[in-house]
Amino acid sequence: MLLSLAWKNIWRNKKRSLIIIAAITFGLWGGIFSSAIMVGMMESMVETAISRDLSHIQIHKKDYDKDKDVRNFIPDGINVLDNIRSVKGIRAASGRTKIIGMAASPSSSYGVEIIGIVPEDSKQVTDIYAKLIEGSYFKSDRKNPILIGRKLAERLNLKLRSKVVLSFQNLEGGIAYIACRVVGIFKTNSSQFDEMNVYVAQGDMFRILESDPIIHEIAIRSESVETIDLVRDNLLILFSNLQVESWKDMAPELAYLSQTTGIYMYIFVGIILFALLFGITNTMLMSVVDRIRELGVLIAIGMKKSKVFIMIVLESVLLSLTGGFCGIGVGVLTIAYYGNNGIDLTAISGSLESFGATTILYPFLPAMMYIILTIMIVIAANIAALLPAWKATHLVPSEAIRTY
Amino acid sequence: MALIEITNLDRIYNTSAVPVHAVRDVTCNIEKQEFMAVVGPSGSGKTTLLNIIGGLDKPTSGKVVIDGIDLSTMPQSKLVDYRLGHIGFVFQAYNLIPVFTARENVEFIMLLQGVNKKERENRAIDLLKQVGLSERINSRPAQLSGGEQQRVAVARALASRPAFVLADEPTANLDTESAESLLDLMEELNDKYVMTFIFSTHDARVMRRARRIVSLQDGKIVEDKVVTPEKKQ
Repeated sequence: MLLSLAWKNIWRNKKRSLIIIAAITFGLWGGIFSSAIMVGMMESMVETAISRDLSHIQIHKKDYDKDKDVRNFIPDGINVLDNIRSVKGIRAASGRTKIIGMAASPSSSYGVEIIGIVPEDSKQVTDIYAKLIEGSYFKSDRKNPILIGRKLAERLNLKLRSKVVLSFQNLEGGIAYIACRVVGIFKTNSSQFDEMNVYVAQGDMFRILESDPIIHEIAIRSESVETIDLVRDNLLILFSNLQVESWKDMAPELAYLSQTTGIYMYIFVGIILFALLFGITNTMLMSVVDRIRELGVLIAIGMKKSKVFIMIVLESVLLSLTGGFCGIGVGVLTIAYYGNNGIDLTAISGSLESFGATTILYPFLPAMMYIILTIMIVIAANIAALLPAWKATHLVPSEAIRTY
Repeated sequence: MALIEITNLDRIYNTSAVPVHAVRDVTCNIEKQEFMAVVGPSGSGKTTLLNIIGGLDKPTSGKVVIDGIDLSTMPQSKLVDYRLGHIGFVFQAYNLIPVFTARENVEFIMLLQGVNKKERENRAIDLLKQVGLSERINSRPAQLSGGEQQRVAVARALASRPAFVLADEPTANLDTESAESLLDLMEELNDKYVMTFIFSTHDARVMRRARRIVSLQDGKIVEDKVVTPEKKQ
């Protein structure tokens, strides 16, 4: 009955209640949707980096990251690769031969990382094949086919079927050259990546290097995102002489951003709720002032002040939750719509590409956020009710009854 | 032993520069089933006296003993419980909860007492029938006339099964017909349930029906007489 009274009391002044409910609805909707955009952008950056080149887990020779010399390859790499493919929880693995070198066209040259891959294996762990804007994914009769990024093509003034010469250090410390033919131009969400990476067939590299197959990097996709850490730990046990890292270890800045985005999201919504708290307090104070005589009567006839306090808090919580659920509802609908259709940010694609985000953004908010948000609303409502409830419980009934 | 024993009661308000002596040395006993009116001009101390008897205000000195319990020394937290269990209030402006129906208004005080739902409903409906509102049980205060609202207030006052009812100017906002009808009801309850009614009033209609009239002036009792009520017109 107290709950019923509290609910009915909210609607005694419909206009006033609806105004604060609308304020909470729009405030929360804004907070939720902005957070979903932030999370969506973050998720997109992580997913993009994983799909483009990181994959879930990478294996290198120990200290490879400190010295990326051509001779710093994984010992017996081909066997290691075969063994890895049979480890439980691994969906696919691809070996990469990576050498720092120079790409030169008739007009210019630029430092690049030459990545030798087995095209079909690489397709299983990264999605460069899906980023081609011209040409094909190594489907060419031409000798020494190469995939280059659009940014590098612009820089070196290269087109499809243009010739580009790669020079790099061979295993003996000398310089090796390979003349390649551009068979595909890719464009990822990172212009920096497009400028600095080229893909060639691994076999062509081994031929130029005049060596047995060597692998510097093994890229691995686990069966599920949730099991990445578990698979990494297993691999660490199996290949203790090698460096096994998950994407979080390789790109700590992305992992940190991903983690902090969640925290910023709560801070952001918390600030919105804090601002709304003053509006709720004001509404509840007006409501108490309007009912001084009635509250005096309730205390006079025997309603304990603790119950009056609870009634005011209940009113504040119900009022806030009504606005809160409306805001969450509108937020969920908006996120669902744009989550399916995406938000086209092509107009600012330049700046987005510079830090690896997609131009079509899919807002997303984890389900846990809605639960925590509801708890935050209840807490804010309780805080907002403190002053009005304190005022109500400090009424002197004999004086309050005579208030008109 | 009298139901209410008031001894040397004083109430001085020190809120302004000059202390206001609202009640001066009031002593009187009120027996069970009295139908008593406290009368006097505005500012004579009627409401203050009723507030002290009802545990809404504390005396500066003197004491009020109800059924052997001294209210003047009782802490506020216990006074609330005491009011809930022992005293029924009827106010001049009815003061019903506007968002509740007549039944819910009557039920609410029983909810505060912890009476179970079924009994609350039964008692509320029964009381509303007794005050002649069986057809308006589910009406909200705004849908009721002043007289009907005051009847709901009487039903609410009786719902807690109090020792006595304090009615502060209960007929002041009512037309003659409604006032007479309300007084009929109160008389009936007074006879039927041995219920004590104490009114503060300066309404001649109430004074005519009272069986005891205590007159106050400047906070003092100037007259305390048992009267024969006039017959209903």
